[in-house]
Amino acid sequence: MNYPNELKYSKSHEWLKYDDGVAVIGISDFAQDALGDVVFIELPQVGDTVTAGERFGDVESVKAVSELISPVSGVICEVNDGLEATPEELNSDPYGAWIIKVEQVTEEEELLEAAAYEAFCAEEG
Amino acid sequence: MSELFRTPLYDAHVTLGATMVDFGGWEMPIQYPLGIVGEHLATRKKCGIFDVSHMGRLVVTGRQRLEFVQKVLSNNAAALMPGRAQYSIIPNESGGAVDDAYVYRWAEESLFVIVNASNREKDLAHFAPYLQEFDCTLTDLTFTTASIALQGPDSEEVLKRLTGADFICDGRKNALNILEAEGRRLGLSRTGYTGEPVGFELFVEATEAVWLWQRLQALGAVPIGLGARDTLRLEAGLPLYGHEMGLDPYGVDIPVFAVPLSRFGVNFAEEKGDFVGREALLAQKEEGADRRLVAIRLTDRGVIRAGMEVYRGQERLGYITSGTMVPYFAFEGDTPTDNTGKRSIGFALVRDARVGDTLEVDVRGRRLKAEVVTRHLIQNQPPYARAVL
Repeated sequence: MNYPNELKYSKSHEWLKYDDGVAVIGISDFAQDALGDVVFIELPQVGDTVTAGERFGDVESVKAVSELISPVSGVICEVNDGLEATPEELNSDPYGAWIIKVEQVTEEEELLEAAAYEAFCAEEG
Repeated sequence: MSELFRTPLYDAHVTLGATMVDFGGWEMPIQYPLGIVGEHLATRKKCGIFDVSHMGRLVVTGRQRLEFVQKVLSNNAAALMPGRAQYSIIPNESGGAVDDAYVYRWAEESLFVIVNASNREKDLAHFAPYLQEFDCTLTDLTFTTASIALQGPDSEEVLKRLTGADFICDGRKNALNILEAEGRRLGLSRTGYTGEPVGFELFVEATEAVWLWQRLQALGAVPIGLGARDTLRLEAGLPLYGHEMGLDPYGVDIPVFAVPLSRFGVNFAEEKGDFVGREALLAQKEEGADRRLVAIRLTDRGVIRAGMEVYRGQERLGYITSGTMVPYFAFEGDTPTDNTGKRSIGFALVRDARVGDTLEVDVRGRRLKAEVVTRHLIQNQPPYARAVL
């Protein structure tokens, strides 16, 4: 299980980093492993607002639907539309396959550093 | 939490890194590290092995074994020839199903019945009063035997290499045989739950299960979990008790004849005689069930799942009994390529729908378009099963 140090993590298993003030968001290795093969993703649109702690989309595996929870509040400026055709990238490359980028970030959820997140996952799993 | 049963292959699954889950009271592998999608595709392209030892294996012996089976199961066991098996329903008196089952005639002195793992105890309790009426004995062999399904285009070749035999069994579905492999007795049937044109179910003593599993793996068969077992059977159009049969989400019996395949499992011949539920089932057959199971594919983007409501405009027609996203191979002529796709397919229990109809499925508040189709899979062009897209 991989927990890159430069990222922050939410308790709902999303990761976050900032590129020039823009929040880049995806799901963690723990999340993709727990989901199994991701077969579908419901993505939001550029221009949509997101709220910290609230759902911004869904990922689906063969057996279940899982909500994507935004770690920040802001406005979506970019969406990784390619994931619609190849959602399995979330399994093979969870930290490369970002899902949304958010600008005008006003609020952040309580986020964990890599080590703390790894410990949190150890307790959950 | 009460303890779960384990098959003789439990340790083998854990060693392979399987994710284990509670299935009908058994601790079973839902998937291995390859994953549900990879396991589904491996079965369709090569061959897979499935631990199905959790299923109930029952044997009926004694003078009136046939009379008992004729009474509590819906197919005509008198017409079952030696060396053959038949699909059957265990009906209740009102035209619903207690379980579905397969009956095998291996030997002259016994009839072998396989039932769903989750219903084994319920079935035994259901049988008990009827057993009193006949001079026969029912023995539960579930814990002293094991079963592995071997399914896919390479499966016959794998069996030939395992047994050294040139001939595995008669080419028709439902044929049985008993072979020897490395000094061990191997029962086999040309049956399965995947829709694969070539496939077998293998039966051994519990003590031989690990040996058989390891040998099949060494010969190239890929371990497949219950997750892919479900996506494969769904694609193949095969009912799952608890979804397409049994009680609906409102606690009402799904009529046996709502499921098109039931007609192969129910027989009203005079030779068979009276059986549990005969009157109700005959009425269903003659009048037609008020709702029917149809194959449905989502044409909008999304995934349909069991429980979702199905509409035609404002009219609620029924609900999805089983649904998910399944992978498939693109074909070039008669052979699968390496290119794959995914599609959301399933079954709906609906009134008044026909092949070609466009319906809508309520997917978490949104109405997505779906089409009623004849079938999801072509299964009669061996060696490969192929998706009907």
